[in-house]
Amino acid sequence: MGSDERFDDLEAELRALGSSLDVPVPPPERVASSVRARLEKPVRRWRLVAAAVAALVAVTAATPQGRDAVVAILRQAGIELRLGGETPPPVRTQAPLPGERDVPLDEVAAQVDFPVRTPAALGEPARVTVADGGRVVSMFWRDGVRLDQFGGRLDPFFFKKVGPPFPETAEVDGVTGFWVSGSHPLGYLTREGGGEIPLRQAGPTLIWQRGDVGHRLEGARSMARAVELARSLR
Amino acid sequence: MDDDEAIARSLEGDLSAYEVLVARYSALAHRTAALLGARDEAEDVVQEAFVKAFRHLGSFRRGAAFRPWLLRIVANETHNLTRARGRRSDLTVRLSATADAKAPDDPAGAAVATDRRARLLEAVRALPERERSAVVCRYFLQLSEAETAQVLGWPVGTVKSRTHRGLARLREEAGDGLG
Repeated sequence: MGSDERFDDLEAELRALGSSLDVPVPPPERVASSVRARLEKPVRRWRLVAAAVAALVAVTAATPQGRDAVVAILRQAGIELRLGGETPPPVRTQAPLPGERDVPLDEVAAQVDFPVRTPAALGEPARVTVADGGRVVSMFWRDGVRLDQFGGRLDPFFFKKVGPPFPETAEVDGVTGFWVSGSHPLGYLTREGGGEIPLRQAGPTLIWQRGDVGHRLEGARSMARAVELARSLR
Repeated sequence: MDDDEAIARSLEGDLSAYEVLVARYSALAHRTAALLGARDEAEDVVQEAFVKAFRHLGSFRRGAAFRPWLLRIVANETHNLTRARGRRSDLTVRLSATADAKAPDDPAGAAVATDRRARLLEAVRALPERERSAVVCRYFLQLSEAETAQVLGWPVGTVKSRTHRGLARLREEAGDGLG
């Protein structure tokens, strides 16, 4: 179909001509590594992120605990992002949040003092937990998505150790958040301040704040999907 | 690793998986850029296109074909380049010198064939830009009509009619020995 029969010979001749054209093509592996190098560019990426959110975050030269060559800390939405020059070694263990226990969805509101929402795009979670005396609510879905919500503004609750590529900014309902694209060590900061509990190696995560509530959404397969789920919170 | 899996892993930030995709489509992307008029800037165009493709991978419809989606970006980048340079998207490629090496026992026949190919290439070069783009995609890159439509951003009917007009003109311009 397409062109009519009287062009058959001409079409064949054009195809043959196409394959006899001299088009210089660089080695594919070299192209692949050049593209990769452009996508990595860690330093510039970090500057972009820092510039975009300078008003929101505190940037310091090192942590008090700073054994891990941390170059900067971003604090946002109750999460402390410790940015380092190298990919931190993965956490191989899994620990629950302090005092974490299962709670039926309709009883959650009574146990915490901040408004808890669920993403309409995912439907009802398979499991809900409340941890650390009502400080954190976690919801889990069967496809591996997990949403943590935590109240309060001032002190961070979680810390994440992140190497390159550094987090990208992502907008959720007009508020700037961060997308951490790789897997990374996740820990919990206890209420008394100072105490750090390593939790597990977390997957790609979107973090953002709405009002006084911090959010982290883990396990969406892309930033676009994570933002879509985040926007569906009701 | 097939395209689907490489895309899924790339979306999770796995750059090694994306390198596999880049290496797989690099040659075709370079041919596309060069034949649509990127000249000696084809390498820059292709790198830029792959970087953009990675950043927009979230908007790629899963399960769809990666090849025309990528080539659309390559075609757009090429178009932006030629527009920025304020020039026509000329077809500047040459016939390969080794093309006729396979007929060593018939040098006269080979010379005639080379001459005919050169005339046909000249005629393709002289086509109006849109007809030429259609002919390049359909025959030099050997894309289907549907792929050509996606790559050039035209309806399929437009691809059909511009290809047809291009072929008619080629037969007229390049003389009897053709088609």
